[in-house]
Amino acid sequence: MGDTPISSDLIRGHIDTIVLGLLSAEDRYGYDICKQVALLSDNEYELKEPTLYSAARRLEGQGLIRSYWGEESQGGRRKYYAITSDGVQAYQQNLADWKRARRLIDRLVSGEAEKE
Amino acid sequence: MEAIRYYVQGAFQGAKMTPEVLEQQEELIADLTAKVDDLVAQGKSQDEALGVAIASVGDLSTLVAEFESADESPAAVPTASVYAARLDLHTIAISAGIGAAVMTASTALGAWSGLIHPGAGFSLVAVLAIGIWWVRGAYLRYKESPETAETRELVYKARFRHALLVWAGVALGATALNAMTGTDFWCWPIWVAGGTWALTVKVEERLAKSAEFQAPTQEAAGE
Repeated sequence: MGDTPISSDLIRGHIDTIVLGLLSAEDRYGYDICKQVALLSDNEYELKEPTLYSAARRLEGQGLIRSYWGEESQGGRRKYYAITSDGVQAYQQNLADWKRARRLIDRLVSGEAEKE
Repeated sequence: MEAIRYYVQGAFQGAKMTPEVLEQQEELIADLTAKVDDLVAQGKSQDEALGVAIASVGDLSTLVAEFESADESPAAVPTASVYAARLDLHTIAISAGIGAAVMTASTALGAWSGLIHPGAGFSLVAVLAIGIWWVRGAYLRYKESPETAETRELVYKARFRHALLVWAGVALGATALNAMTGTDFWCWPIWVAGGTWALTVKVEERLAKSAEFQAPTQEAAGE
């Protein structure tokens, strides 16, 4: 069971928070974000570029991140993303919400509340 | 990395080349190039790395479609259902009232201080008469159908800018007439009257938010 790839649906609703979390450490470009997601998940989850770009546009539209172009390199310019102060607040709120939801779901799926 | 460029440009084929699409292409090319370089550094051949990188991106059609739909759908214009005749009557009456008060006061002050020619009173009377006719027209429309609901676009910035331009034109015209006739005969009433139109935009913007002028939408009325 541990070898089954994790369902994308379980993570999809948290992509914005994941991206905000990664950007709260440092500014990153698209591939760097995807690579960090793969590293942090031990390659159990792959964030595809189209999904990342959609999330980035959405977050930028909400003023939670901003983007800027880096220096020209061999592969062209890289587009970097940076978290804004609103983004930091949103990330902290999302994180708190997630922790609360996780505690609740843990109780619900394990039936612990019923046992108590 | 020409192969990546061809792949990305091919994926966006048919999409309108807006600056946003071009930027998205550039970002994707840079990211894919970084991924290929990473894979090569891990020991894969260039061709192998390219194949893996392109395959890992997956389906780009959803991403392309996002740009197409953003391009096709016009920016949503805020609208509201309002009692049009009632709103217009109040807007015109308030604006004309303020305009008339300012015109009369400024003309009287100008005449008293000797800054304008007393003949400006003629243009004052003419402009006031036009103002009364304007209010009368709005009143008649209101009497005819007081409950007529109309969906209005709540876009006032462009209208206000346009009105200010007209005002500037009117002021320029009045100044030119003054210069031509060597008097201040035309100036004040016409100058203020020109500004009254701009005032109507601001008055309507404020009144349209008031519950008194908001009509139920057609959907709500049909329920």
